[in-house]
Amino acid sequence: MSPRQHKPKAPGAAGVTTVVVLRLYIVGGAPNSVQAIANLEAICQEYLKGGHRLEVVDVLEHPARAMAEGVLVTPSLAKLSPLPAANVVGNLSDKTKVLAALGLRRRAQ
Amino acid sequence: MIPGYVPLRLAEGGPERRAIEAGQIDAVIDYASSNVILLPAARRALREAANRASAASREAAHEASIANRLLAALPHADYQRLLAGLEPLKLKLGEVLYEPGVPIRYVYFPVDCVISLRTAVEGHPPLEVGLVGHEGMVGISLALGSDVSSVQALVQATGTAMRMEAACFHKAFQQSPPLQNEVYRYACAKLALARQTVACNCFHAVEARLARWLLMTSDRVLSKKFFLTQASLGDMLGVRRATVNEAAGALQQRKLIRYSRGNIRILDRKGLEAASCRCYTRIEGLIPSA
Repeated sequence: MSPRQHKPKAPGAAGVTTVVVLRLYIVGGAPNSVQAIANLEAICQEYLKGGHRLEVVDVLEHPARAMAEGVLVTPSLAKLSPLPAANVVGNLSDKTKVLAALGLRRRAQ
Repeated sequence: MIPGYVPLRLAEGGPERRAIEAGQIDAVIDYASSNVILLPAARRALREAANRASAASREAAHEASIANRLLAALPHADYQRLLAGLEPLKLKLGEVLYEPGVPIRYVYFPVDCVISLRTAVEGHPPLEVGLVGHEGMVGISLALGSDVSSVQALVQATGTAMRMEAACFHKAFQQSPPLQNEVYRYACAKLALARQTVACNCFHAVEARLARWLLMTSDRVLSKKFFLTQASLGDMLGVRRATVNEAAGALQQRKLIRYSRGNIRILDRKGLEAASCRCYTRIEGLIPSA
């Protein structure tokens, strides 16, 4: 199976002018990976409003690729663009940490 | 506690180690062995998911096999014992399951496919001597003490069947008197059917015999639409293609069937029953009902 591509519907909300390119390394069906996908999709929907491109790579299906790209653990999120690149590991339940990696600031509640 | 097999590349106090300690990691990539190492919780979750999938597949096998009347007639306990050795598989038109004189490796319980049993006479094309669908099984000679097929078994209509290894069937047969009863009843019906077919082939017109085979095929594929080539119709009736054409044309003219390039549709079932010889009702009456 080729890695899944989540493409934006339309360039995003006000303030988001560039497409954020993300890659999430997971193990399909494993609990933290399932949670990481759900957490990331919720964050992208709230903060990027479609102004992003997310590729999900299952490391059990593509171990060589994960190693070539320097992945150490899964789930692991890589922000590839815009620079600077950033990484977050774990199930992405810490929203502040994910937003910081994406170069975004948490909205006031 | 970090499992001992976490590779040394993970820095002490680094984000990966902290995420592992927080229980947020599913797998670690071990660069030394080029392996993806699943952590225990992830391994357990994937194993449970695989077990659920396998249970769903067993359930599907169960659903498919009860669509075979011979299996459906068995008491629950006997059926459950048999189920472990049954595997569903798709059989494709033209596939040869048995050749005459060759040991039987599997028995088949058709669900919605049709198997044609054919016998060869020197100097003639093979003649169809039996048809097996969801009402029966292919491989009864195993139950009658012979592990070699006396006929060729050829898939006449694509569909699903439940397959069981010959040794497994033999063991199940020895252990289950209800299975023995069902198989003997079916074998007895097949013998009577073969006798009736011999008489029918001798005395009845091709058109009436064609109507009978079409009805029998329709009963087994559980549909009024099916595919039969002229060659297989010829084998069914033991006649040449030109004769098949003539008989099929006559049935078509009477608006009982539509026949085009092997695609057959029964338009008027009652009419086709009337056009068939009485052997149809006699033969179908011989098949044990579940």
